[in-house]
Amino acid sequence: MAATAAEVRTNVGTKTKVKVKPPPGGARKWVAVAFLIPALVLLGAIVIYPTVDTIVQSFQNDDRTATVGLQNYETVVKRDSTLAAIKNNAIWVLTAPAIITGLGLIFAILTERVRYSTAIKIIVFMPMAISFLATGVIWRVMYDDSTELGFINAGIRGATNMVGAGAGPYPTAEALPDAPLQKAEGGAVVTKDAFEAGDVAHLGLVGLTEADLPEEAVQAAEPQAGQGLGVVVWRDFTPGGGEPGVVDQGELGMPGATVEVLNADGQVVTSTTTGADGSAVIEDLEGGGPFKTRLAASNFDQGFTGIEWLGSALVTPAIIGAFSWMWAGFAVVVIGAGLAALPRDVLEAARVDGANEWQTFRHVTLPLLAPVLGVVFVTLIINVLKLFDIVFVMAPGSVQDEANVIALDMYKTSFTAFRYGLGSAIAVLLFLLVIPVMIMNIRRFRREG
Amino acid sequence: MAEIVLDSVTKRYAGDTLAVSDLDLDIRDGEFMVFVGPSGCGKTTALRMIAGLEAITEGEIRIGDRIVNDVAPKDRDIAMVFQNYALYPHMTVYDNMAFGLKLAKTDKSEMDKRVKEAAGILGLEEFLNRKPRALSGGQRQRVAMGRAIVRNPQAFLMDEPLSNLDAKLRVQMRAEIARIQDDLSVTTVYVTHDQVEAMTMGDRVAVIRKGELQQVGSPTNLFGQPKNLFVAGFIGSPSMNIVASRLEQANGSIKVNIGGQQVTLDDQATSRRPDLKSYAGKEVIVGIRPQDLEDASLASDAPQHCRLRAKVDLVEALGTETQIHFAVDAPAVVTEDIKELAADVGADQLQRLQERAEEGRNEFVAQLDPKSRVKNGEQVELVVDTSQMHFFDPKTSLGIYGDGK
Repeated sequence: MAATAAEVRTNVGTKTKVKVKPPPGGARKWVAVAFLIPALVLLGAIVIYPTVDTIVQSFQNDDRTATVGLQNYETVVKRDSTLAAIKNNAIWVLTAPAIITGLGLIFAILTERVRYSTAIKIIVFMPMAISFLATGVIWRVMYDDSTELGFINAGIRGATNMVGAGAGPYPTAEALPDAPLQKAEGGAVVTKDAFEAGDVAHLGLVGLTEADLPEEAVQAAEPQAGQGLGVVVWRDFTPGGGEPGVVDQGELGMPGATVEVLNADGQVVTSTTTGADGSAVIEDLEGGGPFKTRLAASNFDQGFTGIEWLGSALVTPAIIGAFSWMWAGFAVVVIGAGLAALPRDVLEAARVDGANEWQTFRHVTLPLLAPVLGVVFVTLIINVLKLFDIVFVMAPGSVQDEANVIALDMYKTSFTAFRYGLGSAIAVLLFLLVIPVMIMNIRRFRREG
Repeated sequence: MAEIVLDSVTKRYAGDTLAVSDLDLDIRDGEFMVFVGPSGCGKTTALRMIAGLEAITEGEIRIGDRIVNDVAPKDRDIAMVFQNYALYPHMTVYDNMAFGLKLAKTDKSEMDKRVKEAAGILGLEEFLNRKPRALSGGQRQRVAMGRAIVRNPQAFLMDEPLSNLDAKLRVQMRAEIARIQDDLSVTTVYVTHDQVEAMTMGDRVAVIRKGELQQVGSPTNLFGQPKNLFVAGFIGSPSMNIVASRLEQANGSIKVNIGGQQVTLDDQATSRRPDLKSYAGKEVIVGIRPQDLEDASLASDAPQHCRLRAKVDLVEALGTETQIHFAVDAPAVVTEDIKELAADVGADQLQRLQERAEEGRNEFVAQLDPKSRVKNGEQVELVVDTSQMHFFDPKTSLGIYGDGK
């Protein structure tokens, strides 16, 4: 890619007219005008007339029957939705260009001297080839709340499972409503009755299918308590029959369940894990009875259930993430071109002068890259101010107000609520916000070019 | 300050291209050594290997007593002046010169002292706050030198620093660089393709061709006793006139046939080249420097047996001397050396050489005293300083000397 920074031009909406100096003879002037007219007509119709009309409309009421002066503007600055939109745009402007430029710089430098750097750049740049709309849809799915549908949540869930912070063995299980079991703090299930040595505690659970049980589960069995305390944890459910609280034929035990024994003060004396038939015998009971048995809360751990990325708190950062994914490629390619254009002997001079990699980067590379970084940064600021499609597509209806940006606000006001006057005022507001950036950009191109 | 030793240094690129081949060179402490040769001969590569900017394929380089093959450039204690100056465009002249010291965490007052000192030596005091883009070529070149000087290195390495300057400035800077190096007595390796620079600046000059060292010695040594045809043709401007000739021995003296005319070598000429006798009756390549031909009318007491007659084709009166071009009735000599020398001047030069060879012509240049009155188209008689004639073996292109020369 041999593109120089100066050749990256954003659509600033100015038209460069190429004036051809006419040879002597007045008739030539009319020929020139004739060639210009089609372009002027188009420009006038599509750009100039609508702009002027919108400005005029911003001073009128919603059905264009009367002029209301600055009333629309007053409303605009007091409206919650517009203020939220301005706040969001501010967040966007302060974070997205910096993040994307930074990412672009890091990746451009990492891939600079690597082989196949062109291939890597193509891959990183590809998201730019996708329309904002498609990007919005893709990321909407990626950010989905559930751990089944949402790619990101599924990934986090997999990671938590790997480090042992995952779900317990029986997250869906619960006690029968009228069983002698009650819910305790933290999600544990405790027996209502107390037991002594020689008793068997029955901890029957429902809320899970046979498929939810591990492979080694077999027919539940009553343990032989003997001197100790017996417990049996099993799936207390026989379709269309069976007795609750009793181990019936056909009901499978729940192995691997953690059962704790509590003494009279509620302190944990000992704990055990059930076997394949759901039973266990606890021998070493300290102190005397009576004992309660408790299914530890860890049995019912849900594990990671998913972060609500597109909820009201995280929606703007989430969309900024998607936007960065898209535009990082642009930054990498442009900054990469800038890096390639750095004079190599200046870098060698730094090497000979005694600079290590980091010092060369900080004192030589970065200052020389400053114009390129500026181009990327300003381009992004302009795009972020104009932001519309990605927010429109990604933010679910319920949080659109929290994710609101100015262009979206204008759209909703004018074309959903049909309040044209107000909408026009918002459009003019956006126009005014963008102008300073445009002027800065044009000035910079003029200076460089 | 240190000596630099290149011991069988070789640089091979992928695909087996040899940029530098088995280079052996001892550069003495404080010496101004010039690497000279046609474009692409490997002199810059050799310099960059000393600097550490190119890896050494084979051999050793020692700076001081240290083998620096695997030492990073910044740890070799050398300073480099680049052809395009390589100044930091975003820094002022002061910062450019102070950069190396800043990186070495030099004390601020020491840094300031050294920068001001170097600026004084180079006449840059009033430019310290300017950026490179506000400087002329000569000023930028001096800043590049200043950047090297402040670091007080063991050696200066200069890569054609004057080639981007105009002719007059080049002459002026040549003297300045030589003077500065003399004052500071820092070992310097200077690369150039301009043999005039080499001859005027170097304590010793190393002529390199296609990665191989041809000859190393003082400028006088290279000029007077070139080891081979390449060095003879490369050193000296205008370049040496080359012609093939059959030597004849008669009456105890050797006669050289130049385009149908004969010149006799006296004892002084032959005593410096004892081996020449063994070439009697054989073909040799003869070289006569333009400076060793003189207008006979201005040297009328010269003996008759060393004169040539010719018709003047072109007269260039330069004021300090008058150069004349004249045809010699013998074909131009075309060997690999000579073709490469011609190609180095330019593609059309090579073409002209080949044309002349095909047509059986040769053209000589003579540098006459400015008092000479020869005119274009006239016949002129020239005296040859036979003691300064050069002879080369036609097969090996080596100079014929004898006595171990």
